[in-house]
Amino acid sequence: MALPALTPQYVLGLAALLVLVVDAFTPTSRKNGLLAGLTALAGVTSAGAAAWLYAGGAGRTTLFDGALAVDASTSFFTAVFGCVAALVAVASYDYVREEPHQSAYYALVLLATAGMSVMAAANSLVTAFLALELVSLPAYALVAYLKRDAGSAEAGLKYFVVGALSSAILVYGISLVYAATGVFGFAALADAVAGNAHVTVLGAGVVMLIGGFAFKTASVPFHFWAPEAYEGAPAPVSAFLSSASKAAGFVLAFRVFLLAFPLAAFEALGIPWTLVFAVLAVVTMTLGNVAAATQTNVKRMLAYSSIGHAGYALIGLAALSGPTSSDVAVVGASFSHLFVYGFTNTGAFLVVALAERWGVGRTFEDYAGLARSAPVASAVLAVLLFSLAGLPVGGGFWTKYALFLGAVQSGLWWLAAVGVVNSALSLFYYSRLVKAVWVDAPDETGVARERPTGIYAAVVVAAVVTVALLVAPDVVFSWADAAARALVSA
Amino acid sequence: MNEWIAVGVFAVVAASIPAVMVSASRLLRPSVPEKGKETVYESGEVPTGGTRLNFNIQYYMVALLFVVFDIETVLIFPWTVVYQDAVGAAGLGSALAPMLVFIAVLVVGLGWAWRTGVIRWVSSANTEFNT
Repeated sequence: MALPALTPQYVLGLAALLVLVVDAFTPTSRKNGLLAGLTALAGVTSAGAAAWLYAGGAGRTTLFDGALAVDASTSFFTAVFGCVAALVAVASYDYVREEPHQSAYYALVLLATAGMSVMAAANSLVTAFLALELVSLPAYALVAYLKRDAGSAEAGLKYFVVGALSSAILVYGISLVYAATGVFGFAALADAVAGNAHVTVLGAGVVMLIGGFAFKTASVPFHFWAPEAYEGAPAPVSAFLSSASKAAGFVLAFRVFLLAFPLAAFEALGIPWTLVFAVLAVVTMTLGNVAAATQTNVKRMLAYSSIGHAGYALIGLAALSGPTSSDVAVVGASFSHLFVYGFTNTGAFLVVALAERWGVGRTFEDYAGLARSAPVASAVLAVLLFSLAGLPVGGGFWTKYALFLGAVQSGLWWLAAVGVVNSALSLFYYSRLVKAVWVDAPDETGVARERPTGIYAAVVVAAVVTVALLVAPDVVFSWADAAARALVSA
Repeated sequence: MNEWIAVGVFAVVAASIPAVMVSASRLLRPSVPEKGKETVYESGEVPTGGTRLNFNIQYYMVALLFVVFDIETVLIFPWTVVYQDAVGAAGLGSALAPMLVFIAVLVVGLGWAWRTGVIRWVSSANTEFNT
């Protein structure tokens, strides 16, 4: 059966409307389970449709006069977004059970996911910006969802202010690129930048675009919103933003820089943007990991570590060197890192959601001895954190290995060296949390913990997928390679 | 000579004209303060009360819904202008269906806002602008 190329996007958008319609017909009844189920079903369905489209092997389909283009990278990332949205929805079933405005919550999650999957299909700077706003606006509201909670409201405001600023920078960058080239479409841009006469304007525009993407991916220099927003936001929303939203920023950055701004043309103009990304990668991973090592608050530690992971993923843009095979390898490594990270980091934040539900405090000391009262969740947390660090307990081991290998093969051995040092540093602070949970003695013994089914199911699935990717990575990595090939040799 | 110098000169002149006008009139005019000059300008009306008063927060939701439909008209206007030609060129379905989908999405949003009580007017004795 031939599905329309945008089936996943349609599913997510219609599901968001369906959530609102259901709530409009029964505004007074409580239907958390129905809405969470609907959201999770839509996420899984869109991920399944994306996998189906990839398996169908349609190649590259351009739609709406070239405004959108669906290829293997679209389906790959749409699968990530759908899966993360489903995990977040299942976990939210327990997290928002007592909260008002549940229909708005689930509708916003679905709309943001729809925006992300459109970002993964963007083929023009206009659709790219619109899709990015479709992700950002629901995200601001989701961060401030617990509006009676001062931390959540403060986080939402900070996120909004930084987001509005970086959106302004991004749209100004787009206008400068348009001023220099006169086109918005990626394919037309690739032709128009070659030998462009307005190098200064174009260069300024490209730098501003990098700034806009740095906000979405929580990379230096627009990273500072991340710890504030993730700390104050409801933990499932932190999970959603730190994995899916970050991956969406990356897929858009990859699409823009691989499809619209060919490296060869820019090196001829004297703007080697790989160098910018190499510098940003080093600064981002170092700053993220060093700051994470000094945190005492678990959520802030995870937030800074997610900044560090943005630095690793940036290697995919920094280590491009020209030959198709090595470019595909390093971009594919970055894609698969974002895939694994999507599950692993979502799981880690959802364990924090579990701890928040139990009323465990926020610092490392508060987590002491959690393993005595909640062994399953603690074991899952250990697996997830060690996979984030790059130990061979999860798929993160392969993807980090592939990223650093790709950097070395492109002659950026110093980038790989910084990455390895940072991974070692990250192992230090991840182990601190694992030690607190498993080794340290709890303040009070014999605490009976409730077992919220939804969050437990979500974290266990996240951990199982993470470990499964260590054992059988080829399923995902071959898809990631096809996705990278679709962009590199387009 | 760079042609952008003209833009720079234009910017300098544009900024200096109001500055010169204000400072010249400050030097030339006599200073006669009186009450009528110092009151707040209210389009000719005599102002009553201060400007710092509480507005009912419910205006915010109405304004928000208004913005949605304001933007909607911005899209519908050009669509109506080209509608006849579009029907001739692309057929009725291709010309009409996207706009119907767009309006349907907005109607779902408005219906949801209405049913969940966003536009229900709650009266309170403490606010000044009750209706």
